[in-house]
Amino acid sequence: MCLAVPAQLVQLNGSDGIADLHGNRVPVNTMLVPEAAIGDWILMHAGFAIQRLAFEAVQRTWAVLEDLDAAIVQSSSSECSSHDDQGGASCPNE
Amino acid sequence: MPQRVTTARHALDRLGDAAASAGRPMTFMEVCGTHTMSAARCGLHSVMPATVTLLSGPGCPVCVTAQGDIDLIIEAAFVPGVTLCTYGDMLRVPGRRGSLERARSRGADVRIVYSAMDAVKMAQQLPGRQIVFAAVGFETTAPASAVSVTHARELGLTNFAALVSHKRVIPAMTGLLESGSVHVDGFLCPGHVSVIIGSEPYRPIVDMYGIPCVITGFEESHMALGLACLAEQVRDGAAELVNLYPEAVSSGGNQVAQQLMHQVFEPADMRWRGLGVIPRSGLALNQEHREFDAQLRLGLSAPEDREPRGCRCGDVITGGCVPPDCELFESVCTPILPIGPCMVSSEGSCQAWFKYKRLHVAPIAQMTPTEVTS
Repeated sequence: MCLAVPAQLVQLNGSDGIADLHGNRVPVNTMLVPEAAIGDWILMHAGFAIQRLAFEAVQRTWAVLEDLDAAIVQSSSSECSSHDDQGGASCPNE
Repeated sequence: MPQRVTTARHALDRLGDAAASAGRPMTFMEVCGTHTMSAARCGLHSVMPATVTLLSGPGCPVCVTAQGDIDLIIEAAFVPGVTLCTYGDMLRVPGRRGSLERARSRGADVRIVYSAMDAVKMAQQLPGRQIVFAAVGFETTAPASAVSVTHARELGLTNFAALVSHKRVIPAMTGLLESGSVHVDGFLCPGHVSVIIGSEPYRPIVDMYGIPCVITGFEESHMALGLACLAEQVRDGAAELVNLYPEAVSSGGNQVAQQLMHQVFEPADMRWRGLGVIPRSGLALNQEHREFDAQLRLGLSAPEDREPRGCRCGDVITGGCVPPDCELFESVCTPILPIGPCMVSSEGSCQAWFKYKRLHVAPIAQMTPTEVTS
C-alpha cells in the first residue's frame, strides 16, 4: 500500500492529470504537488502525485527494475539450461 | 549495469567490515512493507553477515490494522445500502465474519478502488447508496484520504463517508521502543512515508533513544547501503539521522500534504495489532469533518480485538518472532488460505517469507538469546 512509482506527467487539467507509467497511461491527481507541470517526473502513490523527481533518479529506478527483469529472464533461462543438461524439456525461448 | 552491481557489492562489503569490527551482533528493523518485500525478493537476508539481523517492524499497513478495525470494515460492508470501497490489499484479510472478499460473495457490495478519489466519483454516480471508503494506511496514504473528504465536502456529497484508521509511523516506532519487547540497534526508515513527513520527525528517536535512523529507497543497493550506514554507526557508538533518499525525501517533507492532513484529521489514540493502543498514534476526522465519519453515520460500534487462534502476526510485526516461529505458517496459513494479515498482504512478512523462501534464516526460537537480544 505504501508503494510509490515514478511516472511522467503527460496531461493536466486543473489537478486531474494523466501519467505515463512506463508505457501505461494512468489517471493521477496532482493536488499534493501543485507545482507539477506537464513533462515533470513524479512519484505516484494510490493515484496521487506525492513528489516531483529529478529525471536522473527516475532513470536509476527504472534501470534497477529493468535489471531485475533481466535477472528473472536469465534465471529462467538458467533453469531451462539446467533441465536440458539433465535431459529435461528445452526452453521455449531458445 | 556493472556499476550498479558494484554499488550493491560495495555496500555489502562496508556492512561486512563494520559488522566484523563491531565485535557484537546487531539487530536492525525496517518499518515499511515495501522494504520487507524488497529485501526478501532480492535475497538481501542471504548475503548479510551472520551477525546482522534485519527484522520487519510495524510497517505493513494491512498487518498493523487491529483485528477489531478489520471487523468494523467488514461489518460496514454488510449494512444494507452500503457500497464498501477498499484498496485491494484489504480484500482478503480474514475477520470474524470472513473477509471482504467473502462478504462480496455473500451479496455485500464491495469494490476495489485504485484511489480514494474513485470512491468520491462513485458517490456521485450512485446517489442512492452510501459509499464508505476504508481509509487505512500510514502517512503516505492519509493525504489522499484527506483530499477525498475535502472534495466530497466541496461537492456537497452526503452519501460519502470514511472509516478512518490511518496510522502514524513515529509513534509506532517509539511505542515499540517503550514496550521493551525487542532490542533494536537501528531503524531503516520508510522511504515513501518520509516523502510526506520529511526526515526531521525521526530526530527524537535518535536524540532521545540513541537509536540511529537511516532513510533509504527500495532498491537493493539502497537498502544495503542503509544497513552499512547503520552498522558503521553501531561500530562507532554513534547515533545519527541519515537521509540516503534525498532525491525524494526532504527534511520538511511534503508541506501541502501535511497541511491537508492537518485540515481534515487530528491525532487520536489508535489500537495496533501487536502493540495495543498507542496514544496519538493514529489520525481521526476532526470536529469539522466528523460528518464524514462512517462509523458514526452507520451507528456501528467498534468490535473488540480478537486475534485468530494461534496467529502470531502481532509478534511478527513487532520483531518478537519471524514467520516460521508461528505454528500456523505454511501448515494451515498460506497465501491461498491466509489466517493472519501478514500472509494476506503483498507487503506482509509472512507472505514475503513464504514466496521467497528465506529458509536460510533460523527461526528466532532456534537462536540463542544473545543472538536475539544483543
